[in-house]
Amino acid sequence: MLEVIAYGLTIGGILYIVSIGFSLTFGSMKIVNFAHGLVYAVGAYALYALLPVTNGNFVLAAILAILASLPVSYVIEKFVIRRLYGKSIDYAIIASYAVLLIGVDIIKWIWGASPVPLSDPVGVNARFFTMEIPFYRVIIIALSFVIFIALSVFFKKSIIGKIVIAGLADREAVLSLGIDIDKYFAIVFLLGSALASLGGILYGPISTVHPYMGFRIVTLCFAVVIVGGMGNLRGTAIASYVLGMVMAVTAWYWGAAADAMIFAVMAGVLIFRPIEV
Amino acid sequence: MLLKKLSNSLTFAVAVIMIGFIVFAYSASVNKVTDFVIFCIYVLGFDVLYGHMGRISFGHTLYLGAGAYGAAMCAKYLVPDPFLAMAVGIGAGAALGLILGPIAVKTKGAAFALINVAFNQIGYFIVLVALAHYTGGEDGVSLDFNSYGFVDFRNVHFLFAFCLASLVAVYWLMHRLYGSAFGAMLLGIKENETRVRFLGYNTQAYKLVAFIISTSVSAFAGSLFVINYGFANPSFMDPARNVEVIFAALIGGPGTEFGAVVGGTAYMVISNYLAKYITRWEMFLGVALLIIAFGFRKGIMGYVRELVDKRIKAGAITK
Repeated sequence: MLEVIAYGLTIGGILYIVSIGFSLTFGSMKIVNFAHGLVYAVGAYALYALLPVTNGNFVLAAILAILASLPVSYVIEKFVIRRLYGKSIDYAIIASYAVLLIGVDIIKWIWGASPVPLSDPVGVNARFFTMEIPFYRVIIIALSFVIFIALSVFFKKSIIGKIVIAGLADREAVLSLGIDIDKYFAIVFLLGSALASLGGILYGPISTVHPYMGFRIVTLCFAVVIVGGMGNLRGTAIASYVLGMVMAVTAWYWGAAADAMIFAVMAGVLIFRPIEV
Repeated sequence: MLLKKLSNSLTFAVAVIMIGFIVFAYSASVNKVTDFVIFCIYVLGFDVLYGHMGRISFGHTLYLGAGAYGAAMCAKYLVPDPFLAMAVGIGAGAALGLILGPIAVKTKGAAFALINVAFNQIGYFIVLVALAHYTGGEDGVSLDFNSYGFVDFRNVHFLFAFCLASLVAVYWLMHRLYGSAFGAMLLGIKENETRVRFLGYNTQAYKLVAFIISTSVSAFAGSLFVINYGFANPSFMDPARNVEVIFAALIGGPGTEFGAVVGGTAYMVISNYLAKYITRWEMFLGVALLIIAFGFRKGIMGYVRELVDKRIKAGAITK
């Protein structure tokens, strides 16, 4: 059972790292950013492409992969989402979906439709009491907690974080103070994209890296956001770990049902949630 | 004046649809065009929510698949009667709409889009894995339907005629629906739901009814697909295929019945006849959707309509 908790924390950590950017776009603009899933996939594929270049140095390859995926998200935000946002939310969603389709096809074009192999970069098991889990998972769990604490400090203490939190609560009020809120949201958007890319990089080696991985993560992030509350950062964190646990426990009994269970939980939350989203 | 009359006439639209599809079917391939006709019914079902209520669903294949599997399960385990299968298929779609609708219609915009994807994922899991013992899992089930005299669904000409009649019937129903007070209510919800609610209407109930109509019509299309192909497999419910109907509804021109038919046909023609020249299919769809989102919002029918309106105005002035 301890292993299940460890697996749940790993998945929860990845979900948290990826959802935070998704949750911010959803909370600030009410847009499902499908392209967020693309950035996640690009992160994993860039890692796969860069590992031979860096002679197998995982950390260096990971940093380069994040840097490589940032232009992708910048272009998407600047030329697709931002342009359509003011006109129609529906078309902004459709356009971001279109971007994901195009991106998936480019990935298939370059790397083929079948999954590419990425192996656990550490390869050593860690022992805690009676259980034995890959040390790599321990690193992911620790890293997700570090990111959680760092983001909490960022949003509480830094001026950018404070403006974004205020903007999520009341956009007009922040604008009337003469603050260009969109600029700050753009900064946080890039930060969220970098984290999405990091999520893909971290999860790639212990799951399968395939062109459609972005589609899956978008729906999972959405479940996190619905359970945790739109643009609610603490809620996103709690929901990520809870849903990660749900996935791990479901997978323990029935591997194939893990994703479906997440959506069932999400539907259950929606039934009892009084507010309309 | 003739132009104005024609552009609003249901009889004229139905005549164009029937003649168009019959000519198309017998000059190209009856089998393929039957597919096109069924797909148009599906697009009509999708457009109830998108074009008229302003809710875009990214998981509508679930309802298509519900109809397909409803019909298939009925034919396999009950009686292989095509009409009963259709009824069970539609019933499955309506029941699903009734169960999921109250959750889905609480939401709008992005949340509505993705809620349906989530439901679609659950449905896909159920037919692919959970009930694989009954649904045949990835292989699906192949079916054989009864025939009664000339009512023989294995006869391509009868099948085509039946599907075309179904399309016309659904088209007529939709036309009546949108012309009614209920249709006006849906448009009101699309424009400004809060105001409609302030007028004292229970918008939740109206949205739920529209949702059920949409899922039932989509399920009807799904059951027709099963009767047409003689099998049902999980690709009927594959979440990755949602882009098809979204693309069709957008390119045809959302919010008009004729636009849905034009869009459905356009998509099917592209995917059946041009796909072999388009090596990167998903990229093609993605780029096309981007173009639609940035500059081709009204769809084909929207522009035709604009042109016709201009001519009518010009005619009125010269008189």
